Amino acid sequence: MRITVLAFSAGFGLVLAAAPAEAAWRGYISHPLGFGFAAPGDLKVEKGTYKGAVAGSLDAIVYRSVDDNIEYKAIVIDTGAEANQSATLLGEAEYIFQDGKKLLMDSFGRVDGHYGRKLTVDLPNKGGRTTAAFYFVDGRIVSLQATVLPANGDYDNPEMARFVDSISFYTVRAADDAIELPMPK
Amino acid sequence: MRRFAIAALLSAPLAVIAVPAQAAWHSYISHQLGFSFEAPGEVKSQPGTYRGSIAGPRQTMVFRSVDDNIEYKVTVMSFLQAQAEGANILGEREYMFQDGKKVLMDTFGRVEPGKEAIYGRKITVDLPKNGGRTTAAFYFTKGKLYILEATVLPANGDYATPDAGRFIDSVTFNLARAEKNATELKIPEE
Repeated sequence: MRITVLAFSAGFGLVLAAAPAEAAWRGYISHPLGFGFAAPGDLKVEKGTYKGAVAGSLDAIVYRSVDDNIEYKAIVIDTGAEANQSATLLGEAEYIFQDGKKLLMDSFGRVDGHYGRKLTVDLPNKGGRTTAAFYFVDGRIVSLQATVLPANGDYDNPEMARFVDSISFYTVRAADDAIELPMPK
Repeated sequence: MRRFAIAALLSAPLAVIAVPAQAAWHSYISHQLGFSFEAPGEVKSQPGTYRGSIAGPRQTMVFRSVDDNIEYKVTVMSFLQAQAEGANILGEREYMFQDGKKVLMDTFGRVEPGKEAIYGRKITVDLPKNGGRTTAAFYFTKGKLYILEATVLPANGDYATPDAGRFIDSVTFNLARAEKNATELKIPEE
């Protein structure tokens, strides 16, 4: 009996050692951009560019982290003077996201009085699976995208949904210890 | 053999009579509302109302015809003061349309090509209590919400009829692309 217990304990230790180290999830908030979310890992900010036939070329802010071979991205696209075309700009961003990919899910998203969409696609060339949410808030397209990379391989991982569903547009609903998101330099 | 031929000749007109008469399709246009579509039957206009949590209470303009037990309806409402909220107003209307119904299709809608494109959605639902099947298209552009709905009623029963798709796909917001002989829609009086 004692041998069994020892073997079980040793095996449990091996399982723990084999499991990849996963970073803790933290709350993030941007008061100037009016949204918050939760993500694991070390979040970095960079500037980006978004292009669409209707939208043209627009500046974007990208917050990104990678943990356990899952990439987490929050993308904010400032539509500026084109904000009056919000419905079409949001629809175009959603369409571009899934264009040429295998669409696995396309459903309503609704957060804090804002309607958007949640989509899941398989990336071409076995590049992984991405779940994304798209919303239009205060003149900006806000998209959260979680991509399970092939090195992870667990394409039903609930962390994708946890990430995209963590978004809030009421900053008071962010975690008390949420970190203020920096603006790119 | 002669009896068969006579019987066939007699039954042919009966078959023709049994097929319901279908009205011709016409193009309709509203320069004031900035859109055009095609529908069969006599399109009549009437005012209506709509209320959504985000949209609030709204007056609507409804253009409607019924042909072969299919109801064709276009609803237009104005949000000129809330254009930047168009995405949410559109999403709310789409959500309300399918809420509590069996969704058969929910896909991208796009009218006009390239940078003139207007994105929306096309949704098909089965109505509760065997009330028929509705295919709808939703677009928000230039401060107006446009909804095209074709409902195949149980009396028709051909729920796969292509006429529903023909109707919702006939919409255009580029009036230069509308039929030259399109009938100008009468704006309903409030």
